[in-house]
Amino acid sequence: MNTITIAWIAFPFFVGFVIYLLPKLDRYLSLGTAIVSAAYAFWLFLQPSPLKLILLDNFGVTLEADQLSGFFILTNALVTLAVIFYCWETGKSAFFYAQAIILHGSLNAAFVCSDFVSLYVALEVSGIAAFLLIAYPRTDRSIWVGLRYLFISNVAMLFYLIGAVLVYQAHHSFAFAGLRGSPPEALALIFLGLLVKGGIFVSGLWLPMTHSESETPVSAFLSGIVVKSGIFPIVRCALVLDEIDPIVRFFGVATALLGVFYAVFEKDSKRMLAFHTVSQLGFVLAAPEVGGFYALTHGLVKSALFLIAGVLPSRNLKELQHTPIDTPIWIALVAASFSISGFPLLSGFGAKVLTMKNLVPWQVIGMNIAALGTAISFAKFIFLPHQKQEEKSNLRPGFWLAMIVLIGGLIGANVVYYKAYSFENIIKPLATIALGWLAYLLIFKHSKIKLPRFGEKFDDLVGFMSLILILLFWMGFAWLGI
Amino acid sequence: MLEAFVFATILCGFFGIILKKNLVMKIVSMDVMSAGVVAYYVVVASRDGFLTPILSTVKNGSYADPVPQAVILTAIVIGLSIQALMLVGVMKLSRDNPTLECNEIEKNNTP
Repeated sequence: MNTITIAWIAFPFFVGFVIYLLPKLDRYLSLGTAIVSAAYAFWLFLQPSPLKLILLDNFGVTLEADQLSGFFILTNALVTLAVIFYCWETGKSAFFYAQAIILHGSLNAAFVCSDFVSLYVALEVSGIAAFLLIAYPRTDRSIWVGLRYLFISNVAMLFYLIGAVLVYQAHHSFAFAGLRGSPPEALALIFLGLLVKGGIFVSGLWLPMTHSESETPVSAFLSGIVVKSGIFPIVRCALVLDEIDPIVRFFGVATALLGVFYAVFEKDSKRMLAFHTVSQLGFVLAAPEVGGFYALTHGLVKSALFLIAGVLPSRNLKELQHTPIDTPIWIALVAASFSISGFPLLSGFGAKVLTMKNLVPWQVIGMNIAALGTAISFAKFIFLPHQKQEEKSNLRPGFWLAMIVLIGGLIGANVVYYKAYSFENIIKPLATIALGWLAYLLIFKHSKIKLPRFGEKFDDLVGFMSLILILLFWMGFAWLGI
Repeated sequence: MLEAFVFATILCGFFGIILKKNLVMKIVSMDVMSAGVVAYYVVVASRDGFLTPILSTVKNGSYADPVPQAVILTAIVIGLSIQALMLVGVMKLSRDNPTLECNEIEKNNTP
């Protein structure tokens, strides 16, 4: 048990370095690693949960793999698999694959942490690897976007470190459970770091530009799984400590609404998807008990959507309405859009129903508005014109393999919550989608409003950190009664 | 007292990140901030005493706590590598933006 887990954590890092030594085998090695991770995730689902790895004399530094980790690890494996298929014939260098696999490995490590120190190391490694992937094209813009990402996440992690040492000072242990007896400033500092890393609420305003200006496969990686590394510890803390649960739920609703508000008015396809990532992360946090399943469906669907957005003829949604797209691509796009809107037959439906069932009363209105906004903004994709192309489409088979992995995963994941299929459960999402489409066709299709890029400047992002810190401190002080 | 100085260092670094216009100065400010964080770990480690915790024939004294020091060593290494990466990125950017003013770079690279 323990040996398998330790071998699985170390394996991607080992492979990442081997790829440099054997650049000819880069694609096969990275493919193998992703498959190993997927196998481990399935193995984890069959094990008695949780699986704990406790060191001797550990000061709270432990690893813990449970069902929640399993969902995140499976997401990571499937997204990595799809991205590798997508890049198969694009002639990316061994450097790209090595970084992708090291990123995959560091995220895997983050998903089994249950203490603040190993989490810190995993998050920083994933930050560096993500920066190298973003800056891979070496253009000025990509370097700037990557630098901005690394800078913001590193400053946030410095705050997080101060919080971690405060927890240690209170308990002589770094375990997540130590938040309970710690001063409120420890909670504020640690959560600031995680909220920025996870792209939550206004701390997540760095995310739209980073995710929309990266290359297609990197965007899929970032939105599908990298931001989840900040979400996972928040969810786990909320599950370990009941007092923190209301704070996490509050941020969930606030994030879902903020992201959807921007997404509805957005005219650029990739930016809209990025804002949607912000909003869907809010759904994950809104009901921490079932966040794992939601994270899985969102990771699959968002990677699929980013990969499809990369092959569309234009990024501007207005132009797309005048250029018909190839029917097979349109079908994939609609399948993914249906899943994220919560349409039955795809697991996005099960995840949404499960989340809605686990809300506390004050969240219901907010989350339903967010679900309606999701349906409105994805109507933009569903109602795009399409036709059978005459000439042979020049799409690579790798793209279709990636789609099969992701959309097949979406259909297969229905197994997790098959109880969702009851009459009243099906009616509500259909009504939401119908309302959303109606609103889109009547109002938003013709709206000319373009929201300004508020708060996405570098200085604003750093300044927001101090505001969120104050807000979190007040919440910790007032709500937790420490 | 010592703690107050440490927090002043962290805050100086944080304000430097916001107030300095030049990208290199921003990175240096971040370095100041991380130096403050490292110092805070050292302060926390020395709460119980100052002696180095190694095996020797000296009779038991009040030892410094080794755990925060071990943790912050990792963080120092990570911080160093991130600094180095960022400065390489800045070098690449400086070819087209010789002044390295953050606002200019942002204006040129925001779609």
